[in-house]
Parts: sequence; C-alpha cells; structure tokens
Amino acid sequence: MAQPGVIRIEETETKDALDTPWNVIVLNDPINLMSYVTMVFQRVFGYPRDKAERLMLEVHNNGRSLVWSGGHEHAEHYVHQLHSYQLLSHMEKSS
Amino acid sequence: MIQLHVEPVGEKHLRISGINPVVLDCLHALPEVLAQRDSPKARARLLPDPTTADEKTNADWQRLIAPELRHVFVSAGETVARDLTGLAPDASDPQSLAVTFPVEHVAAWMSALNQARLILGELHKVTDADMSASDFNLKRAKGLAVFRIHVLGYLLHLFIELEAGK
Repeated sequence: MAQPGVIRIEETETKDALDTPWNVIVLNDPINLMSYVTMVFQRVFGYPRDKAERLMLEVHNNGRSLVWSGGHEHAEHYVHQLHSYQLLSHMEKSS
Repeated sequence: MIQLHVEPVGEKHLRISGINPVVLDCLHALPEVLAQRDSPKARARLLPDPTTADEKTNADWQRLIAPELRHVFVSAGETVARDLTGLAPDASDPQSLAVTFPVEHVAAWMSALNQARLILGELHKVTDADMSASDFNLKRAKGLAVFRIHVLGYLLHLFIELEAGK
C-alpha cells in the first residue's frame, strides 16, 4: 500500500509543478522605443499588431505588463527571446 | 536636421544614406559604447536574471544562457563595426555619407543600435525625464549620451519601419 501511495504523490507533485502557470512580465524602461517593443511582441509571441501595441502601452503606462502565461518551459523560452531583444523581462509563478 | 534613409538596394542589400557628421559621430562611437557592455551596470541591464526570486534558476541562467546571449550581442556589434568600414561619400549628396550592407545584417544592426542605447542609458542613469527633455548640453557627458540615444533611436526606428513594411 505504501509504495504505490508514494509513487502517486510524486506523480501529483510533478503534475502540479507542470500545471502551475508562469507569468512572463515585461518591465518599462526609459530607453526602449515604443515601436521596438511592439515589434518584439509581434515577433516573439506572434501577436497581431493591435494586441502588441496594447501590451506595449500597458508596459509604458503601468510600468509592467503580463504578456504571456503558461507552462514553465515555454515561459523560460519566451524570457530568453525577450532578453535576446534586450527587453527587461522575467518570469514568475502565477499566484 | 537629420535626413537619414534606410532603403533596399536590390533584393540582397540595404543602404543607409544621409549620414551627416552628427550621425557619423554617433556611429563611430558605437564600438566604444558597446565595449562597455561588461561594466556591472550595463551587464545587469543586458543580461538580467530570468526570475525575481528563484536563486537556483537565476544562477543556472547566468551560467548557461547569459554567455550565449552575450556572444550574440558581441557578434552583432562586430558585424556592424565591419559594415561601418564601408562608409563612403553619398553619391546623391556629397555633404553626407552612405553605407551598404547585406540584408541579413539587419538583425545585427538593430541589436547593436539598441544595445548601445541601453548601455548609454545605464551608464549615465538616463531617466524618462532626461529622454523627454528637448535641450541637450552636449558639453556634458550625460547630455551627449541622451543625444546619442535619440540619434541611434531614430536610425533604429527607420529599421523597424522598414521591417514592418515587409
């Protein structure tokens, strides 16, 4: 009885870790051009221009924007992409 | 007055024309600015941590991912520096210069221009208020830095427009 229970708990923990959404956050900075940030959102996430502009304005006006939410690996990939374009960004577990 | 243009030359090359002495000064400063990418402030801006709380993930990132990104950034700067050796008098305007380079170098140009702007911003603690100011004291290091950020930003914007028009 104990052994299968242990296995079941481990599976649950792994599944929970995978299922916990991660948020990708982009922070405002005084230097990056608004047109540049919009272009990066279109390129990295494939967002249409209007959505990319809305998120860019959110960054500009609020200081930060949640630009994507999902699995850990994808979040890591997107942060990597955003850093390659020199956007100030990080990932954090959804609360 | 800046009369910069970025335009295709055939299908395989791009040309920046209308490079006046002001723009030329900013472009010539690029390698020197980019060489400061490893200063602590610039490095923290260009190669930030991927999380705000997970120390292990941050450490792994700095060990594995940051060097790769740094290599990409360095390579972009080197590509632009090589392209700039091709600066020549602009046939349509003897008062200015032009440079032609392969279209594949666009990403490198955009990266290098943005890196330089960010490095200048970090090293001179440039704020939103600095960026909104209309007067620049070019005799002061910060004024010159903000001015260069704007000029390089104008050129970057021309690349963005060109890419958007594809």
